Amino acid sequence: MELADIDLVNPDNWVPGVPHEALKVLRHKAPVFWQDMPGSDQGFWAITKYDDVVAISKDPATFSSYRGTALLRDLPKEDLEQTRTIMLNMDPPQHSKYRKLVSQGFTPRMTNALEPRIRKATVEILDQIAARGSCDFVREIAAELPLIVIAELIGIPIEDRAKIFEWSNRLIGYDDPEFQTTEEDGKMAAMEIWLYANQLAEIRTKDPKDDLVSLLMTSEVDGEKLTEMEFDSFFLLLAVAGNETTRNLISGGMLALIEHPEQRQKLLADPSLLNSAVEEMLRWVSPVSQFRRTATRDTEIRGQKIKENDKVVVYYQSANRDEDVFVDPYKFDVARSPNNHIAFGIGEHFCLGANLARLEIRIMFEEILRRLPDIELAGPVRRLRSNFINGIKEMPVKFTPPRVRAAG
Amino acid sequence: MKVIVDYDRCEANAVCMQICPEVFELRDDDTLHLHTEEPDESLRAKVMDAVRRCPRQALSIKD
Repeated sequence: MELADIDLVNPDNWVPGVPHEALKVLRHKAPVFWQDMPGSDQGFWAITKYDDVVAISKDPATFSSYRGTALLRDLPKEDLEQTRTIMLNMDPPQHSKYRKLVSQGFTPRMTNALEPRIRKATVEILDQIAARGSCDFVREIAAELPLIVIAELIGIPIEDRAKIFEWSNRLIGYDDPEFQTTEEDGKMAAMEIWLYANQLAEIRTKDPKDDLVSLLMTSEVDGEKLTEMEFDSFFLLLAVAGNETTRNLISGGMLALIEHPEQRQKLLADPSLLNSAVEEMLRWVSPVSQFRRTATRDTEIRGQKIKENDKVVVYYQSANRDEDVFVDPYKFDVARSPNNHIAFGIGEHFCLGANLARLEIRIMFEEILRRLPDIELAGPVRRLRSNFINGIKEMPVKFTPPRVRAAG
Repeated sequence: MKVIVDYDRCEANAVCMQICPEVFELRDDDTLHLHTEEPDESLRAKVMDAVRRCPRQALSIKD
């Protein structure tokens, strides 16, 4: 593959899977690669080496999430201000203030307290489908747990979780015609979320509960209560980030186990490998493909001159396959150690829900391996058309129903 | 070598404790406790690794 053939932007190139071959060529030949954006006047620097991704992530003063947001596509001026009220698109010190409002809800102690609830939800999900012997793994297993957990944390009535599922599909799936037909539809989805958030806020103002909506209603930044827009942005980020990524990790992790039967056998034989298996799934899948930064001044990366306002895009899947950091990076190894992957990012925007995600993933696979150890594909895996999220839309699976297995 | 914790940034991810339990301890109340603020030179490599790998850049050292 030649550098001239590489196009990381066209979502079609991500449909067969993460373009690992192209990313490898970039790491070896052009770790700071100028990627043209067809149909747009401004391309970007594609960053594919682990050390560079880490350095850029740790230097928000030079590589801003605020200036051009963290999203690849440039936004029209009228959308910019609104988008910057989402924490993902802030820089310190502003970002730190907003993050502090919710970070206490995501510490290991807080998330570990959720373990019994997560376990119960997981068992219920698997019980629902167990007797059937087949299901769509994505919709009926992987999507359900994060939706239930985040709904409970935020304070969304559990029966409304299908709405969150649909909204986040339309928001994240902007390049997939199955989920979003027009750009306008994505904006509609955001507006529907805001409307819903405001209704929920009104209910909680009268009747506060022990959830994030109630907490945010009373929170202050610099002595001021959150504006409606700030509250809505918090709600949107928590609702979408909290379910889409975990869903894709669970689906992608399951697929990795199915495609590497010897690794699944190893894990079944030695459940103490579960924690390292979860880390390996995170490295292997890296549900978020890239985030964008914008240079705040003229600078250099690996000797390459970067001009102020240049777009710089960091590729997590590439960092997590970097031969200089990982031994045998293309091997899926449930016992991998060390495994300093950066699937959750690092630095200012390190995933707030990392502890929660790890817990959900661990419990889900504990129960799947126990109840459905012979789960296999029963049809073609359909992937999300997206250069942003490493997603699976549909994954038909079959398995021996637990009771039959116990009786047999 | 003096270890400095930025408690405003620390979010109790416990990565430091996994790398260097001789110095870092995450308590049950999610606060980071230092067994010693000035660890022995023999621990330098491990402490540096903890500083580098803290997901929130909450650690630094001063010589």
